[in-house]
Amino acid sequence: MQEENYLSIINEQAVEVGVAACDKETVFEHVARRLEQIGVLTSSEHFKKDLYERESQGPTGIGGGIAIPHGKSLAVKNTCISIVKLEQPIQWESFDDEPVQIVILFAVSLADKNNKFLSMMAQVARKLANEEVCLRLAAAATPQELIQALGAA
Amino acid sequence: MNIVGVSACSAGIAHTYIVQEKLEKTAKAMGHSCKIETQGSIGVENQLTPEEIAAADIVLLAVDIKVSGADRFKGKPTVKVSTEVATKNPVGLIKSMEKALEK
Repeated sequence: MQEENYLSIINEQAVEVGVAACDKETVFEHVARRLEQIGVLTSSEHFKKDLYERESQGPTGIGGGIAIPHGKSLAVKNTCISIVKLEQPIQWESFDDEPVQIVILFAVSLADKNNKFLSMMAQVARKLANEEVCLRLAAAATPQELIQALGAA
Repeated sequence: MNIVGVSACSAGIAHTYIVQEKLEKTAKAMGHSCKIETQGSIGVENQLTPEEIAAADIVLLAVDIKVSGADRFKGKPTVKVSTEVATKNPVGLIKSMEKALEK
């Protein structure tokens, strides 16, 4: 079976740079609202609750200033990935205790909560093991550059 | 040196795969061959064959949970670390494996 590529579920309307946030809550609030506006979510509040549910199970910061929070939620209509690059790095639980500036957030519908989502997370995780990808994400100044960085070999 | 190993983190979602990628890349860059089996929430991928295990010089377990099929590695020199150690310093980890084999 051909795996669906994670690049195809990046929602370009939810990829932003220069987002002002002082903590995780502000980031979640910002992204959840955005996803609600563009019709991905039925309820931003409900989705946020599910994001925190996952956060409570262990750190989603993967080091190098990047975090991959994910919420599997009844409130998600279509599974997608949102990417935000923050204006300033913020505190976030991670392996290396470094602050996080790039948030790659997965919004996953209940229909997709199993294999499709997991194999996409694995694809993204493998990408992020590549230092060049991380450097390009860190250097990205536009939403397009963020997406291109994730697509880089 | 010929390395085989397993990566598995507690959530089985991200670090398992980051570790696999980092270890395989780093080992190759340092002139070793390396294959890491991932035991994640998708199930087992990149599964090691008995032949590959038999041909390996050393076994690397980068795991936070119990490895399934650990008995496959019986009698092989084995290094076990957390996924955190493997993510943070893959070069140091492989160097310490080189040393362990020299002894």
